[in-house]
Amino acid sequence: MSLVLSRSLCRVFSRQSAQSSFLFGEHHYAVQSPWFTPVMTIKTSAPLSMEPKKKKKVDPRREQLARDRLKKKLRKLEKVPPELIPIEDFTTPTKCLDETRARIAPSLSFQESERRALLLKEWSRYKQKQHMDEMQAVEFALKAQSEALEELKLESEELYKAALMPDPHLFPIVHEGPAYTPSIPKYEAPDGKYNDVTKVYTQ
Amino acid sequence: MAAPCRRMANRSLLQFFSHFSRTAVRNTGFREFSSNSVCRASLQTKTVTETATSPWTLVAAVCLQRLPVISADLHPLEQEFKEMMLQMELERSLVSDHELRVLEESERMSRKKADDYDSDEEGSQGNQEIMLAQDMEDAWEQKLKNFQLAPRVTADIDKDLTSAQRCLADSLFLLAEQQVGREKLWLLPQTQWQEGETLRQTAERALASLPGNTAAGFKATFLGNAPCGVYKYKLPKAVRTESTVGTKVFFFKAILSDSAPPTSPSLLWLKKNELQKYLKPAYSMKVDRFIINM
Repeated sequence: MSLVLSRSLCRVFSRQSAQSSFLFGEHHYAVQSPWFTPVMTIKTSAPLSMEPKKKKKVDPRREQLARDRLKKKLRKLEKVPPELIPIEDFTTPTKCLDETRARIAPSLSFQESERRALLLKEWSRYKQKQHMDEMQAVEFALKAQSEALEELKLESEELYKAALMPDPHLFPIVHEGPAYTPSIPKYEAPDGKYNDVTKVYTQ
Repeated sequence: MAAPCRRMANRSLLQFFSHFSRTAVRNTGFREFSSNSVCRASLQTKTVTETATSPWTLVAAVCLQRLPVISADLHPLEQEFKEMMLQMELERSLVSDHELRVLEESERMSRKKADDYDSDEEGSQGNQEIMLAQDMEDAWEQKLKNFQLAPRVTADIDKDLTSAQRCLADSLFLLAEQQVGREKLWLLPQTQWQEGETLRQTAERALASLPGNTAAGFKATFLGNAPCGVYKYKLPKAVRTESTVGTKVFFFKAILSDSAPPTSPSLLWLKKNELQKYLKPAYSMKVDRFIINM
């Protein structure tokens, strides 16, 4: 309030003095009374404009220290072990736990259960015989090979050593296994579209 | 038999002389050393002459196998077991989405056909599907019937022994008719070994030099450098000389990687049980050991 009053008074005096001091242009300010220091002069006061800034050495160091502290904090936060990727095969999907999907187990007759048990035993015997035959066939083949190598050794050392050398071009062998039906010659398979919905996890 | 005996004799000679050199006095030791070196030199020349005059001619043969193209027919026990397993698995399983849908729709149809059917009740369950599950099943069956699969067994090709497409469920072995001595015999393709090549290269040459082998040839993968079997036979006494007592045939296994190999009337593709008809008994005994019918 006092400022506003002083300002208005100042303007009144300046107007009056403007008329009288038109002849003394530059000494306009010196003429006014000492009570009313114009507000404008405060901004241009000497001490505030002339002092140089002292922020050259200390502040960069301080800034770096601050940055290091932040980095350390970030590293501590990041030390948390990465989240393990869930194995989708190990979690039973909720569809399977649905009770409405349970099938009623049929009651088997005595004959049927007997037949199944006997068939399982037959099968185990059949499979055992098959396995033993396979093992024996492999043993015979190995014996035949060792005999051949012995005979070769008797013949010449060079050829024997050449036979023992591993073949670098043998592996990888690629062979298409047997299918149920033979492949149709010159068959053009139609192009198919599919949406790949596999979930990709990133650690 | 003579070869190892000779080598043994040489070894014992060397041992005798080395013992002498160790126990003898210095002035006499020098003499022993020199005699030792002479002995060793003679030993070396003896071994060289041994290899050059080995009485057996070396021959390499290739056992080319065409692996089965289709799965074998099931043994009756296997068929029975397969059906039983499917039945058991079905009993122990949960009802699938498709089955649930089929059940729902069959119930809905039965309710529609009942006399006291009220269509307003059905409206609350959502939209009626255009395609019933049963219709979808029929469409799938129709599609399967329309698709023409290649037949598993073609009787005419099976009887043609020269075709490599016969008996797709078994593994076949290549047999060629070759001149051995004075006779023409059916045996696994073979050629004589030449100086400066390994036995495997001889076997590869045997395969390449078959009649009916065009520029394409048989694309075979040889399984390793080592032979898988050996068959040795002595020539009849009339033909036997100092340098040739008999022949040693080394067999190498190879797998056919070509689906349409070249055919020729002098080449046969036979199953293991058919080989006995064409091969000589002693030969087939040796060959049967490394031919695994799996």
